[in-house]
Amino acid sequence: MRPFAFVSAVLVTALGFPVAAQPAETAPTLEQLDQQLRILERKLELAAEAATAESATRPQVSADRSGLRITAGSTEFRLRGLLQLDGRWFTGEDGAQLPDSFVFRRVRPTFQGTLGKGIGFRFTPELAGDTTTLIDAYLDVAVTESVTLRAGKVKGPVGLERLQSATDLAFVERGLPTELAPNREVGVQAQGGQRLQWVLGIYNGTADGSNGPASDVDNRKEVAARLFYQPSPHIGFGIAGSTGSKRGDTQLPRYRSPGQNRITSYVAGATFDGRHTRISPQAYAYRGPVGLLAEYILSEQALSIGGSADTLTHSAWQVVGRYVLTGEQASFATLVPARDYGVGKPGWGGWELVARVGQLTLDDDADALGYVAATEEQSLDNVGIGVNWYLDRNVRFAANYDVTRFKSFSGPDRPDEHALFTRLQLAF
Amino acid sequence: MKLKALIAAALLPVSAHAAHYELLNVSYDPTRELYTEFNQAFAAHLKATTGDTVTIQQSHGGAGKQARAVIDGLAADVVTLALAYDIDAIAERTGKIPPDWQSRLPHNSAPYTSTIVFLVRKGNPKNIQDWDDLVKPGIGIITPNPKTSGGARWNYLAAYAYALRHNDDDDAKAKAFVGKLLANVPVLDTGARGATTTFVQRGIGDVLLAWENEAFLAINELGPDKFEIVVPSLSILAEPPVTVVDGNAKRKKTTAVAKAYLDYLYSAEGQRLAAKHYYRPVKPEHADPADLARFPELELITVDSVFGGWQKAQKTHFADGGVFDQIYQP
Repeated sequence: MRPFAFVSAVLVTALGFPVAAQPAETAPTLEQLDQQLRILERKLELAAEAATAESATRPQVSADRSGLRITAGSTEFRLRGLLQLDGRWFTGEDGAQLPDSFVFRRVRPTFQGTLGKGIGFRFTPELAGDTTTLIDAYLDVAVTESVTLRAGKVKGPVGLERLQSATDLAFVERGLPTELAPNREVGVQAQGGQRLQWVLGIYNGTADGSNGPASDVDNRKEVAARLFYQPSPHIGFGIAGSTGSKRGDTQLPRYRSPGQNRITSYVAGATFDGRHTRISPQAYAYRGPVGLLAEYILSEQALSIGGSADTLTHSAWQVVGRYVLTGEQASFATLVPARDYGVGKPGWGGWELVARVGQLTLDDDADALGYVAATEEQSLDNVGIGVNWYLDRNVRFAANYDVTRFKSFSGPDRPDEHALFTRLQLAF
Repeated sequence: MKLKALIAAALLPVSAHAAHYELLNVSYDPTRELYTEFNQAFAAHLKATTGDTVTIQQSHGGAGKQARAVIDGLAADVVTLALAYDIDAIAERTGKIPPDWQSRLPHNSAPYTSTIVFLVRKGNPKNIQDWDDLVKPGIGIITPNPKTSGGARWNYLAAYAYALRHNDDDDAKAKAFVGKLLANVPVLDTGARGATTTFVQRGIGDVLLAWENEAFLAINELGPDKFEIVVPSLSILAEPPVTVVDGNAKRKKTTAVAKAYLDYLYSAEGQRLAAKHYYRPVKPEHADPADLARFPELELITVDSVFGGWQKAQKTHFADGGVFDQIYQP
């Protein structure tokens, strides 16, 4: 017997005498009482179903190790964060290098989300410097099932390591090819694909290793594209490039070492004066705990100085290897430890060894043509090793030791740079 | 050998270009069993005739709710709903279906019809024979909510048509009649399948106003010793229509296979399956005569003839503030 029917029968039986004592035309029969109880039970059931259906459209708030999330159907708002506190220690003999210091490298809250099924957005300011700057701010609009239009301030689609999230880098600082790739660009790009990923965009254009300004300073534009084939989740290769025109001297780049020391700058009077083209073949492969990332980039820039026009060609390459000691899958994304580290817990988190070798070569005519001082450095050879300790998916400690050897255009070579960088990172 | 090579060469393009499709059929509540079997038949037919394969997802619920889901973005390739008004609503609100959709397939795009009958408990203990009996005090009627269920709108209009017929088309008396009928409804489910659950599984009420196929199905599944069908003197010709949701199908590149899917409903096999699952086929010559013999003869009025079409009926009776809102007191 159904519970309510049973209860009704018991109640009616227990109360049988008083019920029977009522006038016949008003006394509910056992059958009527049973029906009333069944109706009440069904109404409760339907109310519960309606509540369940309604809860599917009610905003859900959740907070976990990936941040704060508010979802309502296909609309979602997420709050995430990244904090990197670095220690920079130099052991070489170069008196011109940066002082040893603790530095907030990145302090970035990110507000991102989706508005319905076809619209996404992301805002990321940088709070680490003395002034607040905007890192990412873009809007995604799904044009078709497989093509998305992204407009705003975005990562330029040229450098492979540049496209890797700052939370996932093997080393504390990116390698030498990033010095020749655009950092953030302002513009519009179309992107899509899964195995064969592609990006095609038009931007204001930015100098090597630089962020694009909020608005175009020279009324010239740059087109960039990337084609990247990923036959499996951990293997990918492709080619990227950009071409456009630049004018003026407000964006002339400076080139830095892996220790972030300024190495070479253009002299006063040098100015962008025409086409700027980059091309970058790139690849990565990860198998089990071992992984390799390799990229090459060539940057060809038209400049002028004192009425003379020239084209300078710079290039850089690097190979980055990583080996996960604790056996987790190495990947382009961050390592997630199989067993988190915690006081009193058996796990030691994830441990990873990393190594890299790379080179940056500036056009060897740059000094003879008068664009840089002869005492500036013409090439950098870098070797680095490091260890990463992923306490859990959110906290990571890194220590790198980079040695960089310089070769001057024609002056004395700068002393080798010995940089010990450490990083404490919190990301969610 | 030459012949074999020739056949192989001729077949090669078919197999080399065989495609896989995924379709979503958004339907109303009682069609689950029909489309479960029909989908298998169509997939086999497509494979045999083109080499292509298809996976068909089904979604069922109250027709009004289902139409709302499609309007809100549910990517249906085809809709097979309880009444034309709900498809009109999708067409108007989304632009994904052309206004003349109902003329694209034969028989106003309704490959099968049905009607509304009464399902009562075995022995018909309350002696319910016709609509008049439903307004008597103490009769418990189970019917879903016309605001969310297409089947409920058919139930309501059938009762209303009966009341007009027996009251010299006096609208006020018809309203009063249907008001008394609704006063005997203890629970309003959102869809026809929920109402069947209320009546059959939960044991509530004396009579279920049911789609004919739903009534047959209940008897089939639970046995003729528990329920019986009562055929009223007058009911309504329900024409559940079907159409491709062009906007979705075009985007998903499924237009051709979606059309083929609906065309197959009119095929001999589609018609046979409709009759098997207690829907009245528009081409009865393709149905099993034994299946056809199960359908009782009764007078069926149409929405067009009595209510001036679905648009007018919807506006008058089921829109906010309409007759239903005026006469139904929960």
